[in-house]
Amino acid sequence: MRSIRARLLIALIVMVALISLLAAGVTYRRVLSETSTLFDYQLRQMALSLRGQISLAPRIEVPPDQGDADFVVQIWDVFGARTYVSRPGLPMINQTVLGYADLSLQGEAWRAYGLQTADGVIQIAQPARVRENLARAAAARVVVPLILLLPIMVGAVAWIVRSGLKPLRFVTTEVQRRDVRSLAPLGTKNLPLEIAPLVGELNRLLDRLQRAFFTQRAFISDAAHELRSPLTALRLQLQLLDRAPDETARLEARSRLGAAVERAIHLVEQLLALARSEPQESAAEFQLVDISAAAAEGVQDTHDLAMSRGIDLGLDAVPQLQIRGDREGLRTLARNLIDNAVRYTPANGSVQVRTRSAANDALLEVIDNGPGIAAADRERVFDRFYRRAAAQETGTGLGLAIVRAIAERHGARVLLGEAPGGGLHVMVSFPSALLRLP
Amino acid sequence: MRVLLIEDDAMIAQGLQTALRQGGFAVDWMQDGKSAGAALQGSAFDVVLLDLGLPDRDGIDVLRDLRRRRDATPVIILTARDEIQQRIAGLDAGADDYIVKPFDLDEVTARMRSVLRRAAGRGDPSIEYGELRLDPAARTVERNKIPVAVSAHEFAVLEALLQRPGAVLSRAQLEDRLYGWDEPIGSNAIEVYIHGLRRKLGSDAIRTLRGVGYFVPK
Repeated sequence: MRSIRARLLIALIVMVALISLLAAGVTYRRVLSETSTLFDYQLRQMALSLRGQISLAPRIEVPPDQGDADFVVQIWDVFGARTYVSRPGLPMINQTVLGYADLSLQGEAWRAYGLQTADGVIQIAQPARVRENLARAAAARVVVPLILLLPIMVGAVAWIVRSGLKPLRFVTTEVQRRDVRSLAPLGTKNLPLEIAPLVGELNRLLDRLQRAFFTQRAFISDAAHELRSPLTALRLQLQLLDRAPDETARLEARSRLGAAVERAIHLVEQLLALARSEPQESAAEFQLVDISAAAAEGVQDTHDLAMSRGIDLGLDAVPQLQIRGDREGLRTLARNLIDNAVRYTPANGSVQVRTRSAANDALLEVIDNGPGIAAADRERVFDRFYRRAAAQETGTGLGLAIVRAIAERHGARVLLGEAPGGGLHVMVSFPSALLRLP
Repeated sequence: MRVLLIEDDAMIAQGLQTALRQGGFAVDWMQDGKSAGAALQGSAFDVVLLDLGLPDRDGIDVLRDLRRRRDATPVIILTARDEIQQRIAGLDAGADDYIVKPFDLDEVTARMRSVLRRAAGRGDPSIEYGELRLDPAARTVERNKIPVAVSAHEFAVLEALLQRPGAVLSRAQLEDRLYGWDEPIGSNAIEVYIHGLRRKLGSDAIRTLRGVGYFVPK
């Protein structure tokens, strides 16, 4: 059965009914036996009260056959002759038994008490049927209210179950009210101990959801905002192309328009790379990737740019430095780091890429002799769309954010330091857990 | 008309500069808030185009500094920030107009003219003076309702002189209105434009105050 409420209701109602019936049964039997004792006591008291009058017995004027009298009183004298019978019309018990006795007369059961006195024997008898009827009536009077209480108890059980489960219904309606726009935590006031942990966990989940949703929304808003700049440049160059007064101006506008298109494409690619580097894919999809090969690919990808700027781009890699990771992501990571270094290093500078293993970690390093990054800025450069002041390069502001996201997916750390010449030294350290076992 | 362009995006700034120069504006370009502030303190501009997302400080702060100095130079904000609150904040900080990127070039120049017109206290978009009529939007000059062909630089010189008839503008002042800092100026360029204008509009149109400068008689 799925419903707690139904299960509780059925269990409790069956239990209440059984207990009530059991109690009724026991009470009935107890009342019967108590009543029987009382009747016996009555018989004996009656006999005792007649003891003093036994000598007068023959003279007792008792109207014969008092119709509804249950009791039959008989008195025998010391010689055994019956001197008195209270209801002469009845067939008589001719036994004299002292003390309590169950007698049978013409198939009918009687209860009798015989008392020996100095003048004879007094016997009081009563039909068992009468006793039983009275006892049953008495027992029923006690038991019936008990049975009548049963529906009330069932109602009470239902109410208790209902009100006991009320916090659950409250939580349900509260959760129902939540959607992506309102992920506010649920109220935790006056919650029972059993539900509070559930609500606590729910609230933590809501919090994580809200954060994730907020991050996503901020990302989309940032992305839309950032797209405005290249689009503005595009529209501007297109309009300049339209109104170019001469062939020289047209050629220039055309080439600038091309650059603006390239820039917009680059931004969109970087946005996609960042979206892909969000930690959604599980590490289970990782495959063996050679970090040195990824670095080499990164160098190849940025070779043209380095050449055009006269930058000495070199690679010093140990062969076969394999880790478990995302091949495409690691290539993007290397390319972004090298691209950044090449862009921010002045013409005729140097960018050196290195891979090595140290203390079981696999290291990818990019060292340039550019202006470096001030220690105060080293944390902020990882923020999306953060561009340093006075940067001549119109980067997307996403390169290092992508690097960090990819590194985090691999459990790797990205450290920014100062190169010996004052440039930037970036070190990505992949933990040994990712290393291929020898 | 001398324009200060404060924009950190080199590609947009370059495009705007080219377009505005083609339109006869003298453009100076500053890439960050600090140098923009220095430029605004050091020289006078007819209009400022201000981007808000500057790398070192917010454009709004540059604008506030300007207004705090009681400098009423018209400022048009050019920005990617499109929310209503941001527009209100920009206008309330002292901007004369607010344009959201990506903008249309013609709209930018139209709004520049509108702001300049208001700054000069004129409602009529054209400038009329005697038998001359200047249309700053179309950049055309008419004399007795007959169009006169003038170059962009000639137009700029005439516009500068007609804005305050009677006032004498020195050659340096005129050069200031015509050229950005990084533009090469021929040594007798202004004389060439004045000569051209006199040839087209009559030798009396522009007078010379010897040793001081040029003016149009009131």
